[in-house]
Amino acid sequence: MVYSYYPGCSLTGSAKRLDVATRKILTGLGYTLKEIPEWNCCGAVEYGNKEELLKLSGENLKKAEGLSKHVIAPCPACYRNLKESDHQGIFHIYNPLDLFDISKIKDMGIKRDLKNMLFTPYYGCVLLRPKETAIKNKNIMEEIITGFGGEIDGEKIRDRCCGGNLFFSNKEMTEKCVGLIASRSKGIFVVYCPLCHMALNTFSERKVVYITDIILYILGERKTI
Amino acid sequence: MTQKIDVEKIIGFTGYKKGDFSVCLGCKICASVCTLNDFSMHANPQGLLLKIFMGDDSIDHDPLIKNCVSCYRCTDACPWQIRVPEVVRALRESLKLSSPFEKAFKGSISIWGRVYEPYIFLNAIGFLIKNGYLKHLMKWTEYISFHLPHKIKRI
Repeated sequence: MVYSYYPGCSLTGSAKRLDVATRKILTGLGYTLKEIPEWNCCGAVEYGNKEELLKLSGENLKKAEGLSKHVIAPCPACYRNLKESDHQGIFHIYNPLDLFDISKIKDMGIKRDLKNMLFTPYYGCVLLRPKETAIKNKNIMEEIITGFGGEIDGEKIRDRCCGGNLFFSNKEMTEKCVGLIASRSKGIFVVYCPLCHMALNTFSERKVVYITDIILYILGERKTI
Repeated sequence: MTQKIDVEKIIGFTGYKKGDFSVCLGCKICASVCTLNDFSMHANPQGLLLKIFMGDDSIDHDPLIKNCVSCYRCTDACPWQIRVPEVVRALRESLKLSSPFEKAFKGSISIWGRVYEPYIFLNAIGFLIKNGYLKHLMKWTEYISFHLPHKIKRI
């Protein structure tokens, strides 16, 4: 089956590596991806007028229709906006986190494990809230990390907010949020959101990686974590 | 500065109807889980809804206007799942409080249909310098890659 793929703006620029890795892993897991032709920005969280915001993602769904009604959107904000704009529920919109499957990853050929490494899997807000648009498997990052021998910390802050939404308008708030998260967790931060990545990386002294970096590391790629 | 608020416009932006807020039970569970209160900011989402409902002009001093991070913890806890972050975004829009960054973001969309990060960065450079963002540049090197903007075609 063919899946419509919506990379979103961040994944063509600052989070390019998330795009490359996500495509590589999903292809390895057997998904056939076709990028939605001439997709437009989803509007992220920059629009106060909800109708105007959801119209942008509605356009993207129209453009996807000819390819496949099964749509994959890695960026959490894009994923949520697409899901919300599907008012009639005729599309199936997935975040790759719900498609990553530990047994299938094992079938791709494991070259390394995560023994003696400590991680804080951090989901942040958008992937988990509101309930209607949340990902289904809310433990996927823990399953991958512990499944390959890694240790985890920071269970209590995994769903707290990084303040990334205010990064470019009120960064003092972002700094406070990251400070709280960093003080209550240990190890390498593992995220799937480009904005969480930037917020945690900017305001903490800890290493921040995407879960896809970890999967590629397990599969044998060099220098991904 | 206190601005006159347009209740109908704000509620129109959220996609809610005015009566939708009347289900609020006043339990303030939203305030008890609000991220802002982790930092003693005295946020009260329920009080904000009430102010909108009453057309209270002092609303632009509410700590949520400046600091709401859109985490939806309030929504998650609310018995009626009221989406306060979307109300706050509607308020910001109607009070025209968008930052230069947000304006550049929408500017990029109107030119190319997508966000072209270098354009936003250059357009908001004055704001970024003034507000001390450039000291983080060293940490942002991993996000920089060269690519040209793509103007989307009508299909």
